[in-house]
Amino acid sequence: MSFAPGATFEQLALPLLPSLYSHAFWLSRNHAEAEDLVQETISKALRAFDSFQAGTNFKAWIFRILRNTFLTSRTGIAASRTVFLEDHPDLLDSTDTNPTPEDHLIRLDNQAAVNEALDQLQPPLREVLLLCDVEDLKYKDIALVLDVPIGTVMSRISRARRTLHQLLQTQLGDPL
Amino acid sequence: MTQTTQATGHPAPEQLNAFIDGELSSNEAHEVQQHLTDCHPCALRVLSATQLKAATARASQRFAAPPEALARLTAQLRPQEPKKTARIYTFRPFAWAALAASLVVAISLLGWRQVHQTNALSAELLDQHLATLSSGAAPEVLSTDRHTVKPWFQGKLPFSFNLPDVYPADTTLKGGNLTYLNGQPAALLLFTIHKHEVSVFLTPRAGSPTITTLPGIRSGFAIDHATTQDLRIIAVSDVNPADLDRLVSALVQAQ
Repeated sequence: MSFAPGATFEQLALPLLPSLYSHAFWLSRNHAEAEDLVQETISKALRAFDSFQAGTNFKAWIFRILRNTFLTSRTGIAASRTVFLEDHPDLLDSTDTNPTPEDHLIRLDNQAAVNEALDQLQPPLREVLLLCDVEDLKYKDIALVLDVPIGTVMSRISRARRTLHQLLQTQLGDPL
Repeated sequence: MTQTTQATGHPAPEQLNAFIDGELSSNEAHEVQQHLTDCHPCALRVLSATQLKAATARASQRFAAPPEALARLTAQLRPQEPKKTARIYTFRPFAWAALAASLVVAISLLGWRQVHQTNALSAELLDQHLATLSSGAAPEVLSTDRHTVKPWFQGKLPFSFNLPDVYPADTTLKGGNLTYLNGQPAALLLFTIHKHEVSVFLTPRAGSPTITTLPGIRSGFAIDHATTQDLRIIAVSDVNPADLDRLVSALVQAQ
């Protein structure tokens, strides 16, 4: 995403309000808190707008501010007490114990089941998936938002989709 | 990025995911595509993961912003309508007085914020230090061995640090925890000096707030503070400040 060099803060931020709100809600799970988070994000971003480098991804930049704002909030601090362990690289392949090809297909017409599975996902895995699938951010921008190396983004996405898949399989029972 | 699982000859899960997300170079994508035309299981994997991606995108719609909230946020973004120059001349004297008063308030608020930020940080440091003491829970990584403690943080923090070979007299490393300070991920190292508990917070210097003065003593606890080229090191303890300073210096030298 590139922007006209002279774009104002308002021009850049306005179209992102719905996304920021929705992501803030995913993080905080509370409407009042989500609105507060976005409000605080906007004022922080406005103050720091001088440090935003034109030509880089504004969405990634402001999502990073949103995330840091969340982490300092009461809910965020409480959530950070749970330490998230990255997958050991060796575990990644061994969990895939040669299922039959058809095992990979699950019924996805049931959106409620998908919503429930997403809710059950560990927050860091859900977060990376939302940034990728919902916000359409590139891996390098997700790495910027989460402040982790791109390799970690890749392994988290892989782990998130695998876990989501397993949760859905458990929920929905039979494969197609 | 091209790595195939050697045992099977299939693309690694990460690579299939990167393919779905459009993150592969055209050559890499071509390779994967070639593989998919010949490999039924991988093709099904990709199909399934693509459906899952679409379903995840749909799932976000249930958390759309309520229109009122969106309206308030939009209002926050809109800059105040610039006042026409002509209007300024119609300002009554009391309006000027009000303007001057609000300026004074704004300026003093700025000063207050600076102090407030510093106080908030030292309060946060103290809270975290006391929480660690009172919980009685063992640190996430419980070891006196720097070769155990340091690697534990790998992958959990966006920065790295070194631990000294030798500590000042009667200073022992107890373990470490992951924590957040001012929204920055931080390493929390726990030490004892003469049986006094010490919490040491390490954060990347670049992202840290610009706090120049931390009070040396707060509620009877000593707070010591140092920066290296990349790190900000803050120590909190009820031990005497000179001992605390020796530990902070040892940590600074190790970087």
